[in-house]
Amino acid sequence: MIEFKNVNKWFDKLHVLNDINLKIPKGEVLVICGPSGSGKSTLIRCINRLEKIQQGQIIVNDTPVHDKSTNLTKLRAEIGFVFQQFHLYPHMTVLQNVMLAPVNVKKLPKAKAEKIALEKLEQVGLTEKSAAYPAQLSGGQQQRVAIARGLVMSPEIMLFDEPTSALDPEMIGEVLDVMVNLVSEGMTMCVVTHEMGFAKKVADRVLFMDEGKIVEIGNPTDFFDNPQTDRAAEFISKILTH
Amino acid sequence: MLVDFNFRVILEYLPLFLTGLRSTFFIAVVSIILALITGIIACSCRISGIKIIKYPAIAYIEIVRSTPLLVQIYFLYFGLPTLGLRIPEIQTGILALMLNSGAYIAEIIRAGINSVDEGQIEAGVSSGLNYVQRMRLIILPQALGVTVPPLLGQNIVLVKDSALLSLISVMELTRCGQTMTSERFMPAEAFLTVAFFYMCIYFCLKALADWSQRKLIFREAY
Repeated sequence: MIEFKNVNKWFDKLHVLNDINLKIPKGEVLVICGPSGSGKSTLIRCINRLEKIQQGQIIVNDTPVHDKSTNLTKLRAEIGFVFQQFHLYPHMTVLQNVMLAPVNVKKLPKAKAEKIALEKLEQVGLTEKSAAYPAQLSGGQQQRVAIARGLVMSPEIMLFDEPTSALDPEMIGEVLDVMVNLVSEGMTMCVVTHEMGFAKKVADRVLFMDEGKIVEIGNPTDFFDNPQTDRAAEFISKILTH
Repeated sequence: MLVDFNFRVILEYLPLFLTGLRSTFFIAVVSIILALITGIIACSCRISGIKIIKYPAIAYIEIVRSTPLLVQIYFLYFGLPTLGLRIPEIQTGILALMLNSGAYIAEIIRAGINSVDEGQIEAGVSSGLNYVQRMRLIILPQALGVTVPPLLGQNIVLVKDSALLSLISVMELTRCGQTMTSERFMPAEAFLTVAFFYMCIYFCLKALADWSQRKLIFREAY
């Protein structure tokens, strides 16, 4: 479903993605972790071309993402993206936030878009907040709206870029619950996170990155209990003891 | 001092001042509308990635902002006819105010657009919205909030700048003061009256600004 072939990317001289080869099959939940600056966010931002790559190829559903001829609108509609800082549109209500893409990208009639949007809001447990503005919601609620906004286009893939890192500890749970529910629906997901509980519970594989390289990739039990590299072992001991 | 102040002559000249006020008001309204259009076009060109329209827009904005308005007015009024283009004073004046304010408005709008968080654009991009949709639905509505106050400020500046048109003998408010001064030699009465009318326009525009701020501006409810 998603394939990286010899992908290289530089920010000026910084080699941020170093020869990445990766296959993510349909329905897989991949958790990506690693120290800050290791390239994990960049990795998933390349999948819907929020970032360009300089070498190699990324293929999503047989579509080469970084080809000039690629229909980006169609591609991006198939990929939901959730940001660390939510990035809800502050001048629109929750419902308008969620309806915006269906009405303008898919050109659905308003009534139909509203019906789908309300379904997605129900899925994240926020139907009663549909008329509120983002600033009136807590961080956890805002992030759940952002997830609904991604889901409303019925994507096949959801990408999460540190979805709980900007949240108060007591709100992390409600967002993770929504994500766990998505896993049970068979969604293909790439999640950049340090929530190791989430990784152990639902991830099919954990990918550990450092300095732009994939250092280790494997199932969560092996990764946490028996890391193959010193770098990964050091990282795990740090995040578990902090 | 005040006993020497002649109110009768002001009353006598009131019809002239009212003509001047009407003329200033007309010039201001037309110039503001044209300047807004010019500013929006110049800003669109300035932020577009297309070099052939981007660089002329930069040149226009920088030339206007780096030269005095009076020089621009004199260039249009005295310079253009020698180049073979003759237009009446009042049109010359409106053209000068339009070009001058347009450049400042272009920069005001650009600042407003740049103030919108990068993440908003990325959110729009990743839901598949195209450039025009992102501008119309996400960026401009948020930019408007920060743009309206400086835009109205620029309009107030424009009204006061229109006094410079008296120097190319456009019969506006300041020119009326000059006329009365030369006919009766009462500069204190003349220019205090002129100043009073400018203040009236200023307070009207300010009331409009406050009203629009309440009506138009989207405020984040923290």
